[in-house]
Amino acid sequence: MTLGEIIFVFMTLVTIFGALATVLMSSMIYALIGLIVTMFGIAGLYVYLNAPFVAMMQILIYVGAICILIVFAVMIAGPHYLRRRPIKEWKISKLLIAFAISVFTFLIFLTFIRGNFDGDGKMALINTKDLGRALFDTYAFPFELISLLIMVSIVGAIMLVLSSKEEK
Amino acid sequence: MTDTLLFNNLYVYLFVALFLISAGILGVLYRKTLIGMLISLELVMNGVGLNFVALSRLNNGSGVAGQVFTLFIMGIAAAEAAIALGLIIFIFRRYRHIESEKLKEMKD
Repeated sequence: MTLGEIIFVFMTLVTIFGALATVLMSSMIYALIGLIVTMFGIAGLYVYLNAPFVAMMQILIYVGAICILIVFAVMIAGPHYLRRRPIKEWKISKLLIAFAISVFTFLIFLTFIRGNFDGDGKMALINTKDLGRALFDTYAFPFELISLLIMVSIVGAIMLVLSSKEEK
Repeated sequence: MTDTLLFNNLYVYLFVALFLISAGILGVLYRKTLIGMLISLELVMNGVGLNFVALSRLNNGSGVAGQVFTLFIMGIAAAEAAIALGLIIFIFRRYRHIESEKLKEMKD
């Protein structure tokens, strides 16, 4: 087992346990920290997939923007939601639904594994220049649509918060 | 898979992405507050992005489509987080709580 494989297993474990902490932690701030840890693990997996630009964007956008936004929302919505929730409040029907969906996706995964791939498993080398050229050349129209979507959502969020302030 | 190294194995990435998606679905159903459901939704989006990049890279990796669509997913996640947090603050100012099971009506 080489050093790269050891670091890869570490990144996989960080991702999996971060996801578990995100779902199962009773305190919202701890769940958020679990989400941030998961983001870093996924960024490490992106590095192993030879996608360093996506890894950098993962840390920059998810950790730097979205998680900080959620932290602000947690602070505004009040710290009394940081109380612990006892385990007997778990709804058994919801757990059954989540378990059924997970088993279903796992069966899809198993049938996916049994089929054989057309590819040979080799990595093609894609650098950031190719990525940027594809982003502004082939996928230019979806790129502009994404920017329009973000602008509309920001204006909508400001309108929501301002209108709720006027009513008070 | 001709390569025997662990981090060139496609199934490891697919399994991690499957675990992320399953954990996210469990979180959306299990969490009571709206912020917890939003955090779990981010987990699902990350799993899908990891699926895209891994399949685009290791299955006859002949294109940039997977990475480009993962970047689009990040943009959509940012927009969705902004609008969802605006809604959460709106609901909190009106009802003074953000628990999803107690929200009976959204009208007026």
